[in-house]
Amino acid sequence: MTDAAANAALPLATAQAKFRLPANPLGPILAAIVAVLVLPPLYYIIKTSLYTTEFDGSFGDFTFDNYRELVASDALLRHLFNSVQFAVGSAIIAISLGAALAWTVERTDAPMRQSMLLVSIVSLGVPHVLYTSAWLLILGKSGPVNAALMASGLAASPVVNPNGMGGMILIEGMIWTPLGFLLLSSVFRTSDGSFEEAAMMCGAGVATTFRRITLGLATPALLALFLLVSIRAFEAFDIPALVGSAGGVSVLSTDIFNSIRKDIPSNFGQAGAFAIVLMIVVVALLALHRRLLRNAERFQTITGKGYRPRIVKLGAFRPVATGFMLLCVVVLLVLPIAMIVTTSLLPFYDGVSREMFGRMTTANYGLVAHRASFQSAIVNTLMMGASTATFVCLLTAGSAWLAVRKLSGGWLLDQLTTVPLIFPAIVLSVAFLQIFLNMPFPIYGTLISLVIATTVQYLPYGMRFCSAGALQIHRELEEAASSAGASRMQIFVRVILPLIMPAIATSWLFVLLLSVRAVAMPILLSGPNSQVVAVALFDLWTNGQITELAALGVLWTAFMMAIGLLFYRASRRYGLSVQ
Amino acid sequence: MVLRSGCFGVKLVVPALVAALISASAEAATVEEIANLKGPDRETVLIEGAKREGKVMLYSAMIEDQALRPIIKAFKEKYPFIDAEFWRADTRDLINKALAEARARSVNVDIVEGGGVSQGMIRAGVTQAFSLPILTSYEKDLYDPKGMWAATRLSYFGLAYNTKLVTAGDAPKTYDDLLDPKWKGRLAWAATTETGGAAMFITFIRSWMGDEKGEAWLAKLSQQKIANLSGSPREVVNKVMDGEYAMSLGIFLNHPIISAQKGAPVAPRPLEPVVGNASVMILMKAAPHPHAAMLLMDFLLSRKGQEVIRDADYLPADPGVETPKALDPIIPSKANLQRKFLSEEDIFAARTKSLEIQKKYFQN
Repeated sequence: MTDAAANAALPLATAQAKFRLPANPLGPILAAIVAVLVLPPLYYIIKTSLYTTEFDGSFGDFTFDNYRELVASDALLRHLFNSVQFAVGSAIIAISLGAALAWTVERTDAPMRQSMLLVSIVSLGVPHVLYTSAWLLILGKSGPVNAALMASGLAASPVVNPNGMGGMILIEGMIWTPLGFLLLSSVFRTSDGSFEEAAMMCGAGVATTFRRITLGLATPALLALFLLVSIRAFEAFDIPALVGSAGGVSVLSTDIFNSIRKDIPSNFGQAGAFAIVLMIVVVALLALHRRLLRNAERFQTITGKGYRPRIVKLGAFRPVATGFMLLCVVVLLVLPIAMIVTTSLLPFYDGVSREMFGRMTTANYGLVAHRASFQSAIVNTLMMGASTATFVCLLTAGSAWLAVRKLSGGWLLDQLTTVPLIFPAIVLSVAFLQIFLNMPFPIYGTLISLVIATTVQYLPYGMRFCSAGALQIHRELEEAASSAGASRMQIFVRVILPLIMPAIATSWLFVLLLSVRAVAMPILLSGPNSQVVAVALFDLWTNGQITELAALGVLWTAFMMAIGLLFYRASRRYGLSVQ
Repeated sequence: MVLRSGCFGVKLVVPALVAALISASAEAATVEEIANLKGPDRETVLIEGAKREGKVMLYSAMIEDQALRPIIKAFKEKYPFIDAEFWRADTRDLINKALAEARARSVNVDIVEGGGVSQGMIRAGVTQAFSLPILTSYEKDLYDPKGMWAATRLSYFGLAYNTKLVTAGDAPKTYDDLLDPKWKGRLAWAATTETGGAAMFITFIRSWMGDEKGEAWLAKLSQQKIANLSGSPREVVNKVMDGEYAMSLGIFLNHPIISAQKGAPVAPRPLEPVVGNASVMILMKAAPHPHAAMLLMDFLLSRKGQEVIRDADYLPADPGVETPKALDPIIPSKANLQRKFLSEEDIFAARTKSLEIQKKYFQN
């Protein structure tokens, strides 16, 4: 009956300049769910920083001492400086290498350039802990680099030491290079070549054109991405923990972890204060990033008229460009994986030598295959990744549509789903740890708790993908559905959902790929019954079981690369965006 | 209708209530009672209870492939109806995980085992006093008179050196030899462990030399720029084996012997007095499987359990268990070396100050 009434009112509504849909609980319901997910961590992390910690780890008295101690010690400034140095250094590596690769692939006629995209996406399947371990072995005192230097007479003793700021920057930079490349590819792909042609016609050479036009037009995007990678590196926990700690280099994120795990009992107050400082910096950087993106509009070159990017003919330089790409593939992917595969075949790791070939065995794989804890870690990780991706998609598909259409609750949803961006993973982890520890029912250490926390972490990513999908759908489809008498829920389920399904699928795969390789969230939240692969790898590294780590890592990476391949096929059709 | 639904309700509720009452009376025993069972039927009661529980969870700092796997395997052979599981981590992680579980009222763990696990947990009030009949055959200083902890294994700490990089004659023979400038940048230790590693080494130096002299000596030692590694002392020995560092301090002296037997270029060097310490186990007050936990504790201290621990290359707490000849050079009583024993209480009492000293002198 209400439907009939709505039908009667519809011609009027569509006649109005502003298109209106009948009111529906979709917006408020989604907003309520998202608010319950994202607001408690904010409350708990602030509360944590303002209370002393009791002997059993619970909240003590209200205090400002956590901040006072932080300001009084010289650690804060030194570690903040380390964090900045680490963030900027790795962003420089990732963006300069990524930009060089993106330009070569998108704007030149170098042979084999298309395979670069595949390699980059497949490399997303390598867990950070494994990638980092590989490089620590390669650059370690007994690793192949030092061995080669000593064998060639260039050094008398091992000179390369990865455990320091240099090693941290290098490894983090390499981890971000594939993503830098992927994001910059679209920048170079979608710029109009006629500007460059105009410059050439005015007599500018290739170099001048590249410097003044190509680079000039890409600068805002480069800057924005540079900032984005800096923020991510600033928040990163895994590389500093694995690489920096052994060399005595601390950053804010490792301070937080150490306060929780290496003090007895966990010094939650101290961790909270560190976390707030970290978040303030991140918020400031994110605001700057937003401004940069706004200004970037001034540099848009694609307008209503047709465009195509100009392809530079490299001529004799074609092999050089291909060589550069091959070198990048070898260094970024082949070398670390070869190191891990080699290590996985050794009975014990004591460096790379000729003798090791005689000792090779597949025993580590047998051990890994038969260990119940590894099997359950693999199952847990897949369940965690798949449910996280599903929840993220469920929550963001509707939210994105409401936000894009500026429907009731849309603005609020847009704001709420962005809140997790201000949380570095390790901070969100501490916040959820406090929430779960204070729940009246036992939830700490369960897989479901891990899924809840990880879902919150990836909400902004899902929102990004689904918004992009929803933006492409013209309003007239909804208007038509509405005229035919569909309710808002019906429009969403029967019209919008099928149309943005490709975006949702891409988002699902992306969230799955990223959530299973990160260690910062599960390292504090997982319990003995919810172990995941990333934490198992982390524990194996800290326990010195390097050969088993390698075997487990090889199996897992092979599997995740297959998923990366799926994602590659999806993203080629539906585009990629990462925030 | 009211009557019918009433009858239906009664039909459902009464059996449920009866069942609950029966199971309640069967499991009326609290963790405290189970932990202190005495008398001839103790074992039968524990086995009956453990069959119902079907599981036990051990958190331990023992090395996984060397020790925990064989121990759990031997335990399962004796009690095939108990699904025994373990989680291996360093002491601080073990304690914080167990404390977090207690706080979250979601306790998975029954027994926590490791060097230095007892005091922090006792202070937080999460441990349960227990009595094990077998302890009467143990030395008095290997268990708590109040029943809160019992020793599972002994450890002796010292130096490990890479035999390709350092000759036996060159390796330090006294603590003062460590101050030789030629070792600058070539030493490593575990910076974040409770047992072995930096903090315990500092505690030992302070209690041996005295607070003031000890700190002055440590200030000199800090000139050597010792690498602070985040892993276990076992991993530090691995780093010496693979040549990352020439020597490491505060390692378990049996580790280099084990690796040397497999052909790794590493050797132990006990420095006098040799630092000794007992690793202990505690029982959680909220242990979810108390019967099975008591059986596992019994097993760990039994002759069989101690032999498995010995075979896993640890030094058994039970003096009646023979140790392998290869370990003689590092066992003070057999090698005729002076020894200094640090108890859990000693270490805990000195801990805060030692960590301050570590922070002041040794953090880069």
